[in-house]
Amino acid sequence: MAWHKIVLVLKREYWVNFKRKSFLFSAFGVPLLTLVAMFLIIRFTTGRETNLDAYNRIGVIDRAGIVTALAPEGRYVLFTDPAIPAPHGDDPAAREAYFAALEDAARRQMEAGELDAYLVIADDYVLSGRVDLYTMRNVPAVLLNSVRDLMREQLSARAPDTLPLPPSRLASPAVEVLRDVNTDRELSETALVGRMMLPFIFVFIYFLASSTTAQFLMSGVVEEKENRLMEILATSIRPLELLWGKMLGLAALSFTQIGLWLAAGLVIVMMSEGAREFVTAIPFAAGDILLVVVVFVINFLLFASMMLAIGAAVTAEAESRQLAGIFTFIAVLPMAAVVTFFTNPDGPLPLFFTFFPFTAATALILRFGLTTIPTWQIAISLAIQIVSVVAMMWLAAKIFRLGMLMYGKRLTPRAFWNALREGRATLTTAGEGAAPGGAGK
Amino acid sequence: MTATSNDCAISVQNVTKRYGSFTAVSDLTFEVRPGEIFAMLGPNGAGKTTTLRMILDILKPDTGSITVFGGPLTDAAKDRIGYLPEERGLYRDVPVLDVLTYLAQLKGVSHAEAQRRAIAMLKQVGLEANIKSKVSELSKGMQQKVQIIATVLHRPDLVIIDEPFAGLDPVNTQMIKDMLYDMNREGVTIVMSTHQMNHVEEMADRLLMIDHGHRVLYGTVQEVRERFAENAVVVEGTGDWAALPGVRSVEVSETGREVVLHLGDGATPNAIMQALAANPTYQVRRFELAVPSLTQIFIQVAGGNNHGHSRQGG
Repeated sequence: MAWHKIVLVLKREYWVNFKRKSFLFSAFGVPLLTLVAMFLIIRFTTGRETNLDAYNRIGVIDRAGIVTALAPEGRYVLFTDPAIPAPHGDDPAAREAYFAALEDAARRQMEAGELDAYLVIADDYVLSGRVDLYTMRNVPAVLLNSVRDLMREQLSARAPDTLPLPPSRLASPAVEVLRDVNTDRELSETALVGRMMLPFIFVFIYFLASSTTAQFLMSGVVEEKENRLMEILATSIRPLELLWGKMLGLAALSFTQIGLWLAAGLVIVMMSEGAREFVTAIPFAAGDILLVVVVFVINFLLFASMMLAIGAAVTAEAESRQLAGIFTFIAVLPMAAVVTFFTNPDGPLPLFFTFFPFTAATALILRFGLTTIPTWQIAISLAIQIVSVVAMMWLAAKIFRLGMLMYGKRLTPRAFWNALREGRATLTTAGEGAAPGGAGK
Repeated sequence: MTATSNDCAISVQNVTKRYGSFTAVSDLTFEVRPGEIFAMLGPNGAGKTTTLRMILDILKPDTGSITVFGGPLTDAAKDRIGYLPEERGLYRDVPVLDVLTYLAQLKGVSHAEAQRRAIAMLKQVGLEANIKSKVSELSKGMQQKVQIIATVLHRPDLVIIDEPFAGLDPVNTQMIKDMLYDMNREGVTIVMSTHQMNHVEEMADRLLMIDHGHRVLYGTVQEVRERFAENAVVVEGTGDWAALPGVRSVEVSETGREVVLHLGDGATPNAIMQALAANPTYQVRRFELAVPSLTQIFIQVAGGNNHGHSRQGG
């Protein structure tokens, strides 16, 4: 492969498409409008869930020594660990170490999925009413009500004989503070919305960027076919070089778009307190971000090669759009089913989307913010995506070579199948496997 | 007369190409010599474009072999070829200069050099005002000129043009001809496929005519015409033509200015010319062999060869 030719195609595809009005609009206008709309919708709908199905087991760490009346088979369990013995005496340091170890254990259990959340009732609970709530999921208002009911039960069981209480405590039995599991930082409600929204925003931005550029890729090939340029190009560059140049150019464009958005997001975060809170709950650790990038790249290659194949197989722009529309629709299915993701991120539908190659990237990122995805699921999903992308690129290269010179003629599945069965593409270039008795190569 | 393939710009040997049960090109053999203007003729569907595509390695022959510049068509050899297909176009929404620069860069010319040459050539064909115009803003004739520039901007050693003059007015046709002549004088080999016989007669050194995938004519333009010449001479002047010894019949042309003398067996044009020179009663202003035009040959061969394929030529 001649890399300098690939780079030439890459640069051309990048700049020509960068200057398109439709790119500028889709890069800036559409996401802005949509995000504003989405933000408003989510603001009004979060926390309004009415069931606690996702919270079956909540650990309670009682630093204030106030819990005495937990129902034996209830949702709340007094969190203890046989490996962490309770301290004797009144040594404050030993007591502090005990609770710190207990919180560590609770966090580990939550990450392992054994606990859905845990509460830490503060030392000064009686005065402050403070209850720290740690969870990795969406926090519906019904959960906060449940915590208040729990605390009210505990107070009723003790008061008024053994526990001197300010009247305000009974009126307001818990002031819940939601905390980040990893950093222990207090999370505001905005941050909570952010925790759920950020993966959604990432998916949305990525999806817009990749689908726009993948469609540019397709219409570029259709344009070269429609304008009868392919034959000239075919004598200057090998089909695979052209294919790679186009894919890389548009991938660069796609990541430019994402980069522009991240930069814009950063500026907003630096300028606005609310926006800062919004992103404090970012659910991705450094390793996760790497994974997200890998998933995006694989997914982009998958869609780009598919669009390229469509562009080479059809004869007219309108026809290509129809075909591309079908695949785009499949890719956005997880977004359409976003409610299912919010209510049951580990359910059968999100799981199916995680393992279906065309929706895997979207489903994985969406679930990131809503649940802890088991490593095996990530591994299998990645494996499926990698196999699919390799197969799709192979197929795209075949279709591209066969279809690129078929002016005004559609590459039918039957013609493609016949070409595959003959074991060689009808259209090849020098050094890419000569036909029997070929041109002396 | 047959050169070895190493001496040829293009050598096509016994090439056959089938599409399913349809044979597009059948056992075709011909050579293009370095520095010549070579014409490929043939009716629609004769196999010209398929042949050109096989030479350019866009299609693979089923059997036979093709060499270009004495060897297989490598990437480096491709960069030495300029190709303008019959169905041609350019990026429409891109400035002319950018299109030309990009296509030349793909052929290995540096960006700066490609721009410099493109500007110079656009000026040469009178398009200096359209350097920054988008291709879609140009007239068809202007686009045609830009396409030809794109074909030769990288200064190829071999130019292959399918129908070079299609869609051009006489002024632009002459301009393109001059451009091709200039390149040919500098040693560039030119292969053109065309229907327009007058251009072939005027420009080509040698020609190949294909019909139904078979070679039906091959050789220098003069050879081909003489091969189809009947035993006759064209004379312009005055005198009793029928009285000349060896003249079988006299045919007066439509304009009445010239006559065609059909000669009998054993009579030669040379003998007629000597007889005319020896007899002062004859006034001769013009004397030439009655060779048919390529158009007549084309119609005769392509029209009469729908089934049987007489194999002729070099």
